[in-house]
Amino acid sequence: MVRMLVWLPLGLVTLFVGCVLAALFFHVSFSEITDALQCRETQFALRLSLVTSSAAVILSLVMGIPSGYVLARRLFPGRMLIDTLLDLPLVMTPLVAGVGLLFLFGQEWFGGQLAALGIRLVFTPGGAIAAQTFIAVPIVIRSSRAAFESVNRRYELAGQTLGLSGQAIFFRITLPLAWQGILTGAVLAWARALGEFGATLMIAGATRFKTATLPVSVYLNISSGELGMALACVWILLFFGFVLLLAIKLLGRKVDSRLMV
Amino acid sequence: MLVSGDGDEPCPEALGHVPLINRIIAMISLKKISNYILDDFSLDIREGELLALVGPSGSGKTTLLNVTSGLTEYTGRVLFNGKSVDCLPAYKREVGYVFQDLLLFPHLNVEQNLLLAMKRLKISRGEKTARVDQILGAFRISDLRCRYPHELSGGEQQRLALARAVVTEPKILLLDEPFASLDFRTARYLRQELRKQQRRLGLTTLFVTHNLAEARELGDRIAVLKQGRIEQTGTLEDVWFRQAAAETGFLEKPNILECSYCTCLGNGLVEVGWSGRKLLVPDDGFRISRVAILPDEIYISSERAPGPSINRFEGRIKTMVLSDGVVQVVVSVEGIDLRVEMTPEHFEALNVVEGQRVHGILKLRALKGC
Repeated sequence: MVRMLVWLPLGLVTLFVGCVLAALFFHVSFSEITDALQCRETQFALRLSLVTSSAAVILSLVMGIPSGYVLARRLFPGRMLIDTLLDLPLVMTPLVAGVGLLFLFGQEWFGGQLAALGIRLVFTPGGAIAAQTFIAVPIVIRSSRAAFESVNRRYELAGQTLGLSGQAIFFRITLPLAWQGILTGAVLAWARALGEFGATLMIAGATRFKTATLPVSVYLNISSGELGMALACVWILLFFGFVLLLAIKLLGRKVDSRLMV
Repeated sequence: MLVSGDGDEPCPEALGHVPLINRIIAMISLKKISNYILDDFSLDIREGELLALVGPSGSGKTTLLNVTSGLTEYTGRVLFNGKSVDCLPAYKREVGYVFQDLLLFPHLNVEQNLLLAMKRLKISRGEKTARVDQILGAFRISDLRCRYPHELSGGEQQRLALARAVVTEPKILLLDEPFASLDFRTARYLRQELRKQQRRLGLTTLFVTHNLAEARELGDRIAVLKQGRIEQTGTLEDVWFRQAAAETGFLEKPNILECSYCTCLGNGLVEVGWSGRKLLVPDDGFRISRVAILPDEIYISSERAPGPSINRFEGRIKTMVLSDGVVQVVVSVEGIDLRVEMTPEHFEALNVVEGQRVHGILKLRALKGC
């Protein structure tokens, strides 16, 4: 009897999540949603979301992988402080992050300088990219740091004795060995960027056909009572979320028996 | 290969014995490694030789290899071909290093491991592939070229590690107890293979081990390391027959048998006379006046054991002592004392008392002539 009780919490939680998802699926009729999926506004939001989140992930990888490497392999004063600081966006309310971004980029001097360079972030899709990057980059740094730390440094020594330069060792040995962990982090960062709402709302605003990403679109349509449109966006988001999470699981499972020497 | 001699002539290069008056390839003299101060440490490695450095665990063997390859900081001098490499980082020293844990790149297959090792060489892609083929053939792993390291057996991984270190044609090959993790038979087989390849390619090699038997089997010369000092350097015969090895404590002290005559039999064997009987000894390519054998390579039994009557003797047990988990027995053979060692289990099974007559065998392969 007691043994069976162990299963109860798992059952309840699964039921809870399942019911919430079911509520999203069965609240409006199927045809209403398929119509909304073909609507121009939804398609715009989908495109914008894909473009901004991809850009945010690419930016995060470019900045995050080297940062993770330095944090993993170099000792310098203030390392722990910087490390903690960079984790802060992970626990910050996205809305607050958005306010911060708005204050920074909306500020006359700094915003003006950027505008002079042709970079306008306030109430533009660029702002959405900035907001999503702010959320995604700590995830990439965290995962790549852990991935680099897990690579046995002795492989790098072996590379040295084989006459490989530091650069060759990084690109031919360290990076390939850490790749799996970095990729998992990138997928997770992408999922978070796709679903990012609070920060995007604050800095990019919520303008249809301009800055409305999928989550912002959900918000706009719910506030104007168009549930079919809102749920169509929800469906798309859930679909991507599911696919990305599945990808992480598959990546994790394959934790390459090759690396188990 | 061997022409039988008439006893007085030294046998020709029977096992390809390397002449020892060779150019010095590497010279290492050190004062300090990290914080560890060395007292007058110096070591020469000569062209084409395999120098086996023997020392107990913790005597600094691996550290010495790291110094030579440039992976550890040190105060002192390391010369390759007379030129100082002290200022060169590890990746410019052109050494081949087989680590104890091999460190085969797990994300690359056999062929890719070798190709990455050859990256520094300024030769064409075609030449590299040709060299891969050649080295895979030499180490007999040609059919494994697409396998990943985790798909190889221990012995195959070992061969790949050796191939990877050798493929770059290093100035000096460094081996850090490469056979320590293998079972006895594989290790023995690979030792012979290594020896063959090392001689064929003329690789100058520094081999460290804590195992004297391994050093004995492989080394052209042996250096004995103790507490950061080279206690002794020389040929196996020097180290063995000069007896000083015994003072280092951890090295076993061999029995030395004085020989009355020496005749080359061919087939890699020499017949020598000892205490009025004939002994067969492996031919090392020179005239033998003394033969050495380690105490644990002598078998004794109360009954005459079956088998061919080669290298047999009869004697009387003089003393029996148990020390350090080993039973040391002294057998007197017509006035000459032979030290014999065995495990306590073996000794109990033997069931003998002092003064009893015993039959003994001197293991042929363990006999070393000088």
